[in-house]
Amino acid sequence: MPPVDAVPEPGAAPASRGRRPAWPWRWFGPPVSAYDQRSAMLLLAPMMAVLMVVAVFPVVYSFWISLFDLKLTRPHRVPFVWLDNYAKVFQDSLFWESVGRTTSFTVMSVSAVMLIATLMALLLNEDFRGRRILSAILLIPWAIPYVANGLMWKWIYDSGYGALNGLLLQLGFIDKYLVWLGDADKTLLLIANAFVWKELPLATILLLVTLKSIRADLYSAAKVDGANVWQRFAHITLPSLVPGFALVMIYETMMAIRHFDLFFILTEGGPAEASHVVAWQVYVETFRKLAFGTGAALAYIMAIATFTLAFFIIRSTSRKL
Amino acid sequence: MQAALPLPIARLGRPALLFLGSLLFALYVLAPVAWLVSSSFQSEAEITSKPPHWIPHQPTAHNFTSIFEAREKVVTYENRRQGDTATGGFIPSTAGNLLPGMWNSLIVAVAVVLLNLVVSVPAAYALAKIRFIGRSASIYFMLTSRVIPDIALVVPFFLFVQKLGLMDNLLSLVITYLAVTVPFSIFILTGYFESLPDELDKAARVDGCSRLQTLLLVYLPLALPSLVAVVLFTFLTSWNEFLLALMFTQTPASQTMPIVVASFTSDFNISFSFINAAGVLAIIPPVIIAILFERYIVAGLTAGAVKG
Repeated sequence: MPPVDAVPEPGAAPASRGRRPAWPWRWFGPPVSAYDQRSAMLLLAPMMAVLMVVAVFPVVYSFWISLFDLKLTRPHRVPFVWLDNYAKVFQDSLFWESVGRTTSFTVMSVSAVMLIATLMALLLNEDFRGRRILSAILLIPWAIPYVANGLMWKWIYDSGYGALNGLLLQLGFIDKYLVWLGDADKTLLLIANAFVWKELPLATILLLVTLKSIRADLYSAAKVDGANVWQRFAHITLPSLVPGFALVMIYETMMAIRHFDLFFILTEGGPAEASHVVAWQVYVETFRKLAFGTGAALAYIMAIATFTLAFFIIRSTSRKL
Repeated sequence: MQAALPLPIARLGRPALLFLGSLLFALYVLAPVAWLVSSSFQSEAEITSKPPHWIPHQPTAHNFTSIFEAREKVVTYENRRQGDTATGGFIPSTAGNLLPGMWNSLIVAVAVVLLNLVVSVPAAYALAKIRFIGRSASIYFMLTSRVIPDIALVVPFFLFVQKLGLMDNLLSLVITYLAVTVPFSIFILTGYFESLPDELDKAARVDGCSRLQTLLLVYLPLALPSLVAVVLFTFLTSWNEFLLALMFTQTPASQTMPIVVASFTSDFNISFSFINAAGVLAIIPPVIIAILFERYIVAGLTAGAVKG
């Protein structure tokens, strides 16, 4: 890799081409050629158009909606209520219970993903026969749709004829078939298990990349110094994994907070309200109660919460761009 | 890594540990899927046995044939709710919706893939290779839109789609799936374009290529691996997407595969062996894609998350 100074600025155009842009643009940074500016704008135009329609517009529009008491059950009277929808959400005890459930679902899922993915990544980082096959089958959970994942686990957890009951009975852990998803104490844990199974591949791949980027000479130097396997693991591998851990943790936290599909397919928020998480509440408010104003407010609160988390991931990744 | 201690334990321990680890790993990943496949080949009588038959004793493809043949049956008022009487009503009369649903999913996914490339390739090239005012602002803009939770999009999109009269129309899915996929594609492609040498750009420009020509003739052929990754991700995301499809599709005319499959799971009368057969059909395309293109996918996922 040559020193950074030797690498030309991207698209430092031949001097013959283009004039410098007009005066106001100079304020925004080092001079660029007008031709480059124009062509960049043209090349970016489709992206800008798409992001305007699908990102900027919804964010602005849903804030606007959240200021109205918009109910599709009475579409002709839509009073402007300032921030009442937000106040209503924050006063709703069900909302705070949902926040609690989302939090415990997130904590359970993310910690399990981190732990199992680390073990898997350490295994795949070794060199042995069959490693290629393992890394190919690792992608299966990642590839299958959440709907299929949901029905698969729903059938496994089935209290009448499910595999979980059958297996535990055959192994002698239980003496009669139990209720699983229908048991309020177990629901969140079981949904988290289905979530973890599906999210593991990505987490494992991200950690594996981090492992592969550890320089081999660190290990040989440590070996020369007489460090044993465990010391090398604790003092080289683990500290080097920290950026990978951070990335996986932030990403999976974002995924877990917003997760909806499994709650819809496995339990629909039940039994009673045992799996009534925030994402499910957005759905219920919007599409069951048809209270679009409250739904939008809730979604906005959720988006801001995830944004705060995402801020960190953006800051760490954009620095590399 | 060589064993640290020249002891027989270390020599025997490592392969044994690796074997045990691989076994657990493969079991954890494959066992649920294997059970899904196994039970899709069982009849209603067999699937309700206790303890479960891990391997079907009398395998039957009836669940699958009923999906493929359902189209030929006429749904009338009388048989509309009762399903297939030959199987005791365990197979729904809506079984025939699955194949059209997969077809809808395919149309949407292909359209999203193509539009996605048209939008994200030029943008990624500009972000990676051109120095212009607003470059870092554009990057931040793109990255920020990547993290909007899809559940926050449903309310504005729903009203928007309704106003445009696109409810129950595949076009609404194509537009909203672009939202979900474009930022990620640009992210992967920008990283890849940046890794290609700038000298190519200069040389092409000296030879008189315009920016667009440089992109299409010089960089695009070189970026093929990342293009493959982008196509695969976009396809799989569109094929698998559930929440937005749940909002915008109402009749079988526009329902995609995940919606049709989910509609089976909410009906307690429908046999799980049939639901599982639908699940198996739903996972076959993505699983084949994942295994065939494993290298591209892993490289793309890696680049998309930790660029470097």
